[in-house]
Amino acid sequence: MKRQSPGALPLPAPIVNWFAGVGRASTVTLEHAGGLGLLAWQILQAIVGLRVSLRSVLNQMYIMGIQSLPIVLVTGSLAGIVTSQQGGYQMTSAMPAYVLGSLVVETVVLEMGPVLTALVLVGRIGARITAELGTMVVSEQIDAFESLGRDPVAILAAPRVIAGVLVLPLLVGIADFIGIVAGMGAAYLTAGLGVDSFLYGAQLFWHSWDLLYSLTKAVVFGLAIPLISVHMGLKTKGGAEGVGITTTQAVMFMTLTILILDAMFPPLMLN
Amino acid sequence: MIEYRNIHKAYDLPVLTGVSMRVEAGEMFALFGPSGTGKSVLLKTTIGLVIPDIGDVEVDGVSLYRGGKKALETVRNQVGYVFQNAALFDSLNVFDNVCMGIPEAELESLPRNEAAKRAWEALELVNLEPRDILERLPSELSGGMKKRVGIARAIVGRPEVLLWDEPTTGLDPINTAAVERLIKRLSHDLEVTSLLVTHDVEGGLTICDRVAMLDSGTLRFCGTPAEFRASPDPVVQAFVDRAAAEAALDMAAND
Ligand SMILES: Nc1ncnc2c1ncn2[C@@H]1O[C@H](COP(=O)(O)OP(=O)(O)OP(=O)(O)O)[C@@H](O)[C@H]1O
Ligand SMILES: [Mg+2]
Repeated sequence: MKRQSPGALPLPAPIVNWFAGVGRASTVTLEHAGGLGLLAWQILQAIVGLRVSLRSVLNQMYIMGIQSLPIVLVTGSLAGIVTSQQGGYQMTSAMPAYVLGSLVVETVVLEMGPVLTALVLVGRIGARITAELGTMVVSEQIDAFESLGRDPVAILAAPRVIAGVLVLPLLVGIADFIGIVAGMGAAYLTAGLGVDSFLYGAQLFWHSWDLLYSLTKAVVFGLAIPLISVHMGLKTKGGAEGVGITTTQAVMFMTLTILILDAMFPPLMLN
Repeated sequence: MIEYRNIHKAYDLPVLTGVSMRVEAGEMFALFGPSGTGKSVLLKTTIGLVIPDIGDVEVDGVSLYRGGKKALETVRNQVGYVFQNAALFDSLNVFDNVCMGIPEAELESLPRNEAAKRAWEALELVNLEPRDILERLPSELSGGMKKRVGIARAIVGRPEVLLWDEPTTGLDPINTAAVERLIKRLSHDLEVTSLLVTHDVEGGLTICDRVAMLDSGTLRFCGTPAEFRASPDPVVQAFVDRAAAEAALDMAAND
């Protein structure tokens, strides 16, 4: 009997399946990347061509900004309180107490403020946009816009993305501020750290670009959330079930994107 | 004039496999066919809502799939589309929905009361009382009312070509008659070209100049209503007989 050459050996099924899975995942990722790039380009064209209505932008800013304020205030203060308590718990007597001030401010401004606010908006705004646009796709409203010579990107996508980019830095700024104030209160109540010492510690380690860093994150997240949610919404297929499926996928996609982008920030900006 | 040249479209399965037909200017043309044969898909290729895999569509001399973006814009501005399920914008009230039917450039230069007048007229043409519904949202309308608002939105822009996807399905006999009168009037008085997809075969044969039948992805028949009724093709015959029987039933029910 002739010996088979090693190259002709059939690969075990799990390995083949694994490669097939990787292939599928990369195809899907590339498709989404292409779709997002194209959408961003079309939105840019709509903005440059002055085809975006100011009224829709203001309306979206109201929905994203004003209506999100309560939840942003709550998460912002909780972030400050939790960091303050956790920090106080980890401190040893060898460390000066004012370090807690620096810990709270830096954690809130660099991480908790932008990331928690973005994640809250993924649920509040991102899911809403995907479901709304998805429903418009399956009920042929997007087709109707096109049949009437209107551009859904200029009418629906652009105002949402512009509003996101403008509103998120404001919300993050507010979350940062309220988080610091709440953290300061918690530090006083749990560790007995006075406001003066807290602020002394805070300014000791404060870099002038920390706030810029926080707000840059906010702009990037503010672009990513509406862009992804609009893209996913417009790609919806099927009926009500399809809307449910894409909305879930969009929330996962946005959450992962926020966390990955957040992890990419320190190497890109902090050195 | 609308000309379809060798249209192919497949989703998971082939839907259209080489459809060629021509609707003359000012003609009323009915397209019949069993459910799910691709009538709506064919209508959508006319304004680029569905891009055919192969083939081209020409509307009043403009070739849709060779002319690029400009051609698409031109065609969309002169074609009105009545969607099978109305497809009203559910965040806009009836008035704003209907006004969306006026081309953007025209709407911007139109005084608001002029736009209101046109919306009002369009709603009256489809037998709706504008006073009662202008301010309402689509979710507050019945199915038949939505459908008629959809028609009003399609005609308010004074298109030269109208594509009707089952405009009378789900309407009561009085409103069906009103919509049929409207289609006739638009083509007789304003020389609008109408392509009408309908399951109301008897109605289509009565009002249209020519009819076609789509079956399994291709045109099974194309000709005058008289030729359709007399066609020896058994599939066409089955359709004619069913339609006659249903019409008789309707007559009996209305007596
Ligand atoms: N976007 C789509 N994705 C996948 N399949 C589709 C899509 N649109 C249409 N189809 C398929 O194409 C076929 C034809 O659909 P179409 O809506 O044109 O039928 P129709 O002739 O208008 O039927 P009806 O009389 O019931 O309205 C159907 O089998 C449908 O499943
Ligand atoms: Mg249909």
